[in-house]
Amino acid sequence: MDFLAEGFRRALALLLSADAEVYGIALLTLKIGLVATAVACGLGIPAGFLLATRPFWGRRAALTVVNTALAFPTVVVGLLLYGVLSRRGPLGGLGWLYTWQAIVVGDVVIALPIAAALSAAAVQGVDPRIRRTAETLGAGRWRTAWTVAREARFALAAVLTTAFGHVVAEIGSAMTVGGNIRGQTRTLTTAVALYTGQGDFGLALALGLVLLLLALLVNVALQVLQGRGGASA
Amino acid sequence: MQVLELRGVRHRYDGRVVLDLERFAVPPGALIAIVGPNGAGKSTLLRLLALLERPSEGAVLLDGRPADLALRRRVTLVEQRPVLLRGTTRQNLEFGLRVRGIRRTEVNRLVDNVAGRLGITPLLDRRRHELSDGEVQRIAVARALAVEPDVLLLDEPASSADRAAAQSLYHALAEERARRPLAVCLASHQLEDAYRWADDVRALADGRLSPVTPENLFRIELPVGAPGDLKHVRVGNVEIAALTDKSGPAILAVPPTDILVSREPLTSSARNVFCGRVTRLVHQRGGAVHVTADVGVELVAVVTEDAARDLGLTPGSPVAFAFKASAVRVF
Repeated sequence: MDFLAEGFRRALALLLSADAEVYGIALLTLKIGLVATAVACGLGIPAGFLLATRPFWGRRAALTVVNTALAFPTVVVGLLLYGVLSRRGPLGGLGWLYTWQAIVVGDVVIALPIAAALSAAAVQGVDPRIRRTAETLGAGRWRTAWTVAREARFALAAVLTTAFGHVVAEIGSAMTVGGNIRGQTRTLTTAVALYTGQGDFGLALALGLVLLLLALLVNVALQVLQGRGGASA
Repeated sequence: MQVLELRGVRHRYDGRVVLDLERFAVPPGALIAIVGPNGAGKSTLLRLLALLERPSEGAVLLDGRPADLALRRRVTLVEQRPVLLRGTTRQNLEFGLRVRGIRRTEVNRLVDNVAGRLGITPLLDRRRHELSDGEVQRIAVARALAVEPDVLLLDEPASSADRAAAQSLYHALAEERARRPLAVCLASHQLEDAYRWADDVRALADGRLSPVTPENLFRIELPVGAPGDLKHVRVGNVEIAALTDKSGPAILAVPPTDILVSREPLTSSARNVFCGRVTRLVHQRGGAVHVTADVGVELVAVVTEDAARDLGLTPGSPVAFAFKASAVRVF
């Protein structure tokens, strides 16, 4: 118990003293998380709309692939990406291996199926009369999609938070393609793993608390936005 | 020139044919009622006419040309249980105008106009959770009329409204048609409404247009392997004699004009003679009276106003309906 209590005391001290390393890692994690979530949702949500609303050949197979990808081990994603981004790989010329961009790419690969599958489910949950109403009133494809999205806003907000949560919490890919380089690619999860291994439980715990705080802040921010939207439903 | 037309349409859901129409046209300015029981294909027909679904086979033509999405803006559908989009009633009325890129000041003018015509001005600032089903229905009609379509499709427009509200809605539609050319095609299971408000009543049964008038349509199961063509089919609490060589599932129709109405049963060649009481009398355009009677099953007969008066027909009065087996249509 002393060990745990000591860990919490050190964690609080680090957080309250605005430790540069802790905040540097947190900011990098936030940057990677936001960029990866934006890219993954920017691609995944429209893909989810297509899967939910447009009948096309292979749609069922595409849904199966997306749902299977939800359970894809992140360390395997990192491994495959390592092969692609390494100097001998097809995208080796980019020089992204062991950079924060490589972590973003890995996170996008992980979060994309989440965004697609959940947004497809969100759109399928919208009353089909909404789409028909928009169409019969003359809305084109984009305006109709926007109208449906407005109806599914709570579920789509949940897509964003879930994607962000997965991105900031994953470690397998970030460790493999990021390399956990101090000041460059060390994220909260890779740092927690490292400092726990080194026996610095207090620092690891401090970073873990920051990770929880980040997830909490993003959720609260989205709930505030949803609350405003809900008031004008 | 026809405004809107389905030609050679066969539509399937999960391989089952739900609509099979050689031709269905909505001429300019027409007021058409499609009647039929639940599951007859009325809503599917309207969705095809509104270009919200593509027919599995056949074509939807607008002014003789294959209809495309741009032309869809000339046809608007109000569904049986319409939904309002997110926002206020005003924003709902604005929706179709704004997607057409109409300027803000013009949008406001058109919305205020249509709201005034439909009597929903007090509802303009309300949101969907503050409205009754009847109000939502009325707003949905106003929203459809706001974009001034050439063809307005209404699926059971009186289903969410009480009787007075339904009459008021039909009056508003009549005023709209007096104001500008507008074809209306409405689906209804209320025959009285259909006859009172439509110029052209078409019956749909099992996805096909009925060759006879829409009253007295019954889904039946004809005995298989029964000898001879004279068959007795149970409909409600009576057995109707029909001349047919068909067997299995079918539609039985008794044309209302083929029913002889009397106060007492008459001795005649008619194989079908049923006694009961008058339940409703509806005076139609052109001097015809639709007499509905419960004779073990509800049947409708058509008589002249003079005949109704001479027989002293009133709701509750005794009546006898007679018709020949050969008058019964089976298809």
